[in-house]
Amino acid sequence: MAKTLPLKNIRVANFGWVWAGPVAGQTLAFLGAEVYKIESRARIDINRTLPPFAEGVRDPNRSLQNHAGWAGNGSVTLNLRKPEARSLALQLVAMCDVVIENFGPGAMGDLQLGYEELRRVKPDLVMLSMPAAGLNGPLRDVRTYGMSLTSLTGLDSITGYAGGPPVPVENAFSDPYNGVLGAFAILAALRYRNRTGKGQHIDFSQQEAVMQMVAPAYMDYALNGRVAGPIGNQHPRHAAAPHGVFPCAGDDRWISIAVLTDDEWQGLVAAMGSPAWARAPEFADAASRVRNIDALHERVAAWTADQDDYELAQRLQQHGVAAAPVLHVGDLLNDPHYRARGTFIEVTHPLGFRETIYGAYVKTSRTEADVRPGPAIGQDNDHVFRELLGLPEDRYRQLIEEQVIY
Amino acid sequence: MADGALAGLRVIELGEQVSAPYCAKLFADFDADVIKIERPGAGDVTRSWGPFPQDEPHPEKSGLFFFLNTNKRGITLDVRAPRGRDIFLDLLRSADVLIENQRPKDMRAWGLDYGAIAQVNPGLVMVSITPFGQTGPYSDWHAYDLNAYHLSGCGHRYCGRPGEAPLEQGTFSAEYFGAVAGASWGLAAAYGRELAGGGQQIDVSCAEVIAAVFIGAQNIGGYAQDGTYNRRTGVGMPLGAPATILPCKDGHVWMLALEPQQWVGLAAVMGNPDWMQLEQFTDMFVRAQNADAMYPLIEQWTAEHGKLEIMERCQDAGCPTTAVLSVQEAAEHPHLQQRGYVVDVEDDLLGTVRDLGAPFRLPECPGGPSRPAPSLGEHNAEVFGELGLSANDLAALAREGVI
Repeated sequence: MAKTLPLKNIRVANFGWVWAGPVAGQTLAFLGAEVYKIESRARIDINRTLPPFAEGVRDPNRSLQNHAGWAGNGSVTLNLRKPEARSLALQLVAMCDVVIENFGPGAMGDLQLGYEELRRVKPDLVMLSMPAAGLNGPLRDVRTYGMSLTSLTGLDSITGYAGGPPVPVENAFSDPYNGVLGAFAILAALRYRNRTGKGQHIDFSQQEAVMQMVAPAYMDYALNGRVAGPIGNQHPRHAAAPHGVFPCAGDDRWISIAVLTDDEWQGLVAAMGSPAWARAPEFADAASRVRNIDALHERVAAWTADQDDYELAQRLQQHGVAAAPVLHVGDLLNDPHYRARGTFIEVTHPLGFRETIYGAYVKTSRTEADVRPGPAIGQDNDHVFRELLGLPEDRYRQLIEEQVIY
Repeated sequence: MADGALAGLRVIELGEQVSAPYCAKLFADFDADVIKIERPGAGDVTRSWGPFPQDEPHPEKSGLFFFLNTNKRGITLDVRAPRGRDIFLDLLRSADVLIENQRPKDMRAWGLDYGAIAQVNPGLVMVSITPFGQTGPYSDWHAYDLNAYHLSGCGHRYCGRPGEAPLEQGTFSAEYFGAVAGASWGLAAAYGRELAGGGQQIDVSCAEVIAAVFIGAQNIGGYAQDGTYNRRTGVGMPLGAPATILPCKDGHVWMLALEPQQWVGLAAVMGNPDWMQLEQFTDMFVRAQNADAMYPLIEQWTAEHGKLEIMERCQDAGCPTTAVLSVQEAAEHPHLQQRGYVVDVEDDLLGTVRDLGAPFRLPECPGGPSRPAPSLGEHNAEVFGELGLSANDLAALAREGVI
């Protein structure tokens, strides 16, 4: 029997740009939805301009990182500053179940493509808006970059070496995180639509979604008024020691080790050859180990420092200790685990060159994802404007010439 | 109250720690009927993690357990015991989704791998969220959140100072990533179950999700093509400046002024000092090359001003700088107060808990926590009663330690 993906009948117009919106569309696409990213050559998405480029040729259709994050989305081009383009966008939305956007609040309204306008052509539309801080409130128009958005959640204030200043995360992990969670929000609203016939406009504040990650520290504030600072790699609830990253042999090689239970501690002690210091009273039970975590980490680091990270991880696993190598980007492609799971795949871009992107980042036993690479700008124009919207050939050509479809 | 978005969906959770519980909480937040199964005796390990009021440990007063388990019904069941396994499978017969994060080899040993479960309910969507996933050479490794996170390359690439240890973000980042991935893929599989022709296993590796959607997205294509890769620098953005966290009078700010108009805005806020006109600071790229000279000059100014003042003045001037809010400042911020993000949930033992609200807003069918996390075995009589077990049966099962 032919495989049918679970979201096969869902069509999505994705006005999302840069990263978060495209990942929401990608997630639905990996699960079978028909997703069209709406973009324009009149205003190239910044994500298409970022290096490195395929074969080193700088071109908005050759940004390698762009293709990984956007794969699965199709692409149609509309120069939305032109009235005819807006009318075509409305025609497309009328044939969609879902609209995604991650501009600032009001940007879609400025294009006369706000929720109220869209629901007139598609009354049960599910629209996901994911601005930085939500659709209303005093910070509604706050300007942030993806990587600084986390500063408004408290998360940056607990990231850093223990006792030191906050250390920035050097990229916007909140973008893909919110993209993935945004797909869940859409599906919840679709389920509600199917039951009630009602669509809705989802107010997805990236600040609020990410702030849930602060819960381990936030709850200590809620219950005790205590305000946490950076904790390094320590257990977020201080329930484990050792719990950290320790140096290994080689350039910038490290191993992660986490010990929560007494059994795991005994396993670690055995793996270390039962050194005398490990029998000291300050390490005798879990509470003591947590209290003396700095001294404990110094001892463990001295032991790991001249060992191979992979070999040591395997040895610790044999002793029942949670340990794994700390990988760098170069390791990811060659690591046997990621290779076995097909985490990264080589594909042919619609324009013909080969490139490596990530595939289905979750595995499904019945409906394996079809990963479409790309997208090339406007790759789905023919299909959408001629077949879906039924534009006559001469009109289609004319709109291209007038840079409406552009 | 009107039905929520996921009303009518039944979810069984066999989860501990953060990943499976947070995933199931997302379903519970939007009105799915979520039944959480805990081990008889100690229950979910987060019951022992706190934080506890006045730091006094109590299994029914853990703040993290509370956050992760609101709106759920809770039962105790030892699925390893033969009778417990039978009851578990019985529960699955009427369920739409199972969310679990047990070690794959344990599930196999208990006869609860997907193959066995699909025989009982072929329509069930089984969401398995583990550090490394169901397949691959590390799938049976023993690991926690920290191990999964650092296997993704995230810390090595993006967090920490050169020469010092790669860092996680002060929370269970990998388990959160795994949780949201399991939620979206799991709900999709349940949504389209008829189309797909039945249930299936959704295999989430927390490490893989981050390695793919975050690290892989922006790094793997370039590495595969050119064989080169980058590492953490300790600076927010090494190629453009200013773009990093800087100290100020009362804490820190996330200083950002990359585009020309942003730099002009920052200059205006700082009183247009002469040095900002110098050639080595003309655009974001040359400023990054001269960052060692520039950052101390900006810091001289930020040291004299508070984070909220800097944020407000910069934002007004078109410069996207923000305050690095403490957990308290974030929670009490007027913006979140006005939006009603923090909500009161009543709990018998904890009193009124100021809990974080729904992660996103569905105006037609609002979600979020409204009922407290269950006490250990709180809903045993109710849930097992629905399966047709009598009070006598339950007493016998309790004696045997099954529930």
